[in-house]
Amino acid sequence: MRQVLTILWDSYRLLAAKKLFWIALFLTVLIALMYASVGFTPEGISMLFGAYEIKNDIIVEGSMFAEYFYMMIFTDYLVPWWLGLFALVLALISVCPVFPDFLKTGSIDVAISKPMSRLTLFLVKYLGSLLFVAIQVLVFCLIVFVAHGVRLDAWNFEVFWAVLLLTFVFSLIYSVAVLVAVLTKSTLFSLLVALLVWAVTLSVQWTESLMYKATYVMPAAGVSINVETGGTRRSNQEFDENADMVRFYEIVRKVGIPLPKTRDATYLLKKKVSVRGNDMTMMTAFLDDDASSGDRREAVAMEAYDNRHSTAYIVGSSLGFEVFILGIACWVFVRKDF
Amino acid sequence: MSDMVIDIVDTRKRYRGGVQALRGVSLQVPRGGIFGLLGPNGAGKSTLVKILVSIVRPNHCSGTMLGAPIGHKPTLARVGYLPEHARFPEYLKGAEVIRYVAGLADIPRKDAAMKAEHLLEMVGMQDWGKRKMGTYSKGMKQRIGLAQALVNNPEIVFLDEPTDGVDPQGRLEMRHLLRRMRDEGRTVFINSHLLGELEMICDGVAIMDKGEIVEQGTIAQLTEKSRRYELVTRGTLSDGLLSRLKAQGVELRHEAGQNLMSVCGSDPEPVQPILDALRAEGVIIIEMRELRQSLEELFMQSVGAGGVGGSYQGSTPPSLPRKEVVK
Repeated sequence: MRQVLTILWDSYRLLAAKKLFWIALFLTVLIALMYASVGFTPEGISMLFGAYEIKNDIIVEGSMFAEYFYMMIFTDYLVPWWLGLFALVLALISVCPVFPDFLKTGSIDVAISKPMSRLTLFLVKYLGSLLFVAIQVLVFCLIVFVAHGVRLDAWNFEVFWAVLLLTFVFSLIYSVAVLVAVLTKSTLFSLLVALLVWAVTLSVQWTESLMYKATYVMPAAGVSINVETGGTRRSNQEFDENADMVRFYEIVRKVGIPLPKTRDATYLLKKKVSVRGNDMTMMTAFLDDDASSGDRREAVAMEAYDNRHSTAYIVGSSLGFEVFILGIACWVFVRKDF
Repeated sequence: MSDMVIDIVDTRKRYRGGVQALRGVSLQVPRGGIFGLLGPNGAGKSTLVKILVSIVRPNHCSGTMLGAPIGHKPTLARVGYLPEHARFPEYLKGAEVIRYVAGLADIPRKDAAMKAEHLLEMVGMQDWGKRKMGTYSKGMKQRIGLAQALVNNPEIVFLDEPTDGVDPQGRLEMRHLLRRMRDEGRTVFINSHLLGELEMICDGVAIMDKGEIVEQGTIAQLTEKSRRYELVTRGTLSDGLLSRLKAQGVELRHEAGQNLMSVCGSDPEPVQPILDALRAEGVIIIEMRELRQSLEELFMQSVGAGGVGGSYQGSTPPSLPRKEVVK
């Protein structure tokens, strides 16, 4: 255990020595504070700790919509875009050199010649590198947690699911970087390959998501597209799915099965956090009582869209990918002559 | 307890790509001394040490280190290692590097802090322990490297080119340190190209070439065959004396008006009748000296000359240094 803690503590010191870590943390805190500066008044939304006010009839102090709106900014914008994309890219750039530097002759020798198994050394070093993201997201979530508590009197511990989910998402991409690093010892190559794999998986997930919307959500909501003009038409009744579209969607879905679900795993947060007992995918629960049947149909369709993949599928298939990639990296590391 | 800290037989290693680094190396290293492993570049010295400390996996290796099979991880708790071109994290301070390595060796934190302080003092870095490695010179890094190799109080310490980058004063201090380690009962195993330095401190040596041990023993044992006595005289030697000297196996040559007589062997007894004969003839004896090969000459003789794995560019030309001079 002492050896494990030594490596983890060293990983923290390595991160703390990197300027990019502090720059990313500063930006994270800044964005979280911007978020915390949003509040609600009886007239609407206040910004920058009350410096500006936007009048709104629905999103007002004490309303369920205010709580939903506040949480939605967190789950649909801040987590997927800042923490799930920009901060992860910064983390990847910062952490990519860890394994190539560690594997250099003269550096690896000291660690490997100690009474500790190579497997433990490898796995703890890998986990230690994930601290970059875990610390950033934890700080962000702490500010969000306090903001929710102070602004809405809702002390929602569920926001901390973001720490686990985003660290998991980062670990999926980082596992690719580690495999390439173990094979080539090249920082640049491992970064490029990791970014490439990430781009490919994102493209597949975006395509699958768009295809699902076009194939199932739009017909269910009674929305049709004029292929010639590109315009949409909303009907009072739902349509049947197009068989060709269904076939094409299935192909895209199957292509994505073995790939890591970075985007889907990030959006799992919507299933994990709740407002007044309803998780963020339960669109129908947040509808106005006087919502039209069309709005209601669309909400049902979006609810189905958000829940089209089970948590077990997203986590299981991603974990399968990670175990496979990391397994190869580990096998090479354990057998390698340094 | 076995007298041998390292006792390995038939160690073989072929790297991917077909390079045969070790071709059945057998090596015995006695406990509690300074042992030097010599060899030209590519001879397989570092591979052998890396196999002993589990960094490289052998294709075959029978035998033990500290009584345990090679590759037995728990045994490494009793082993210290300073790799060649050691790199330590630049973001750590000298004392932190020692504590970090102590942590990897599973040493309790309190003990590690105390040991770090003690070792920094031992390697003369007590004033630099709180500065980052990035600010150190190469020699200072090497001292920290030596300190970290001792943090687990090892029974055997492997040092790969320990004086690399160290200035002359530092080398002198390093030699004192190595002797101190030996006096504390540790076995010090050194890989080095600096034959002169090894000769000064090593109790035993092995010479490797092309993946094989070509010579092994104490320096005295290895140079035994080359031991001889040389007599320098002045003046003409009579024919009778010359034939008597030849009959006693004396090799004779003339240099700069002097006669140089050489008697093979380390025993001074056969030299006495020769001295008596010279004195009886009134020959002036200028000098008598006992000679043996230097380590460098032994090395050159053992590895010969060739390409990689068989060449050594000696820094000084071969000579017969005097071990002892009797005038």
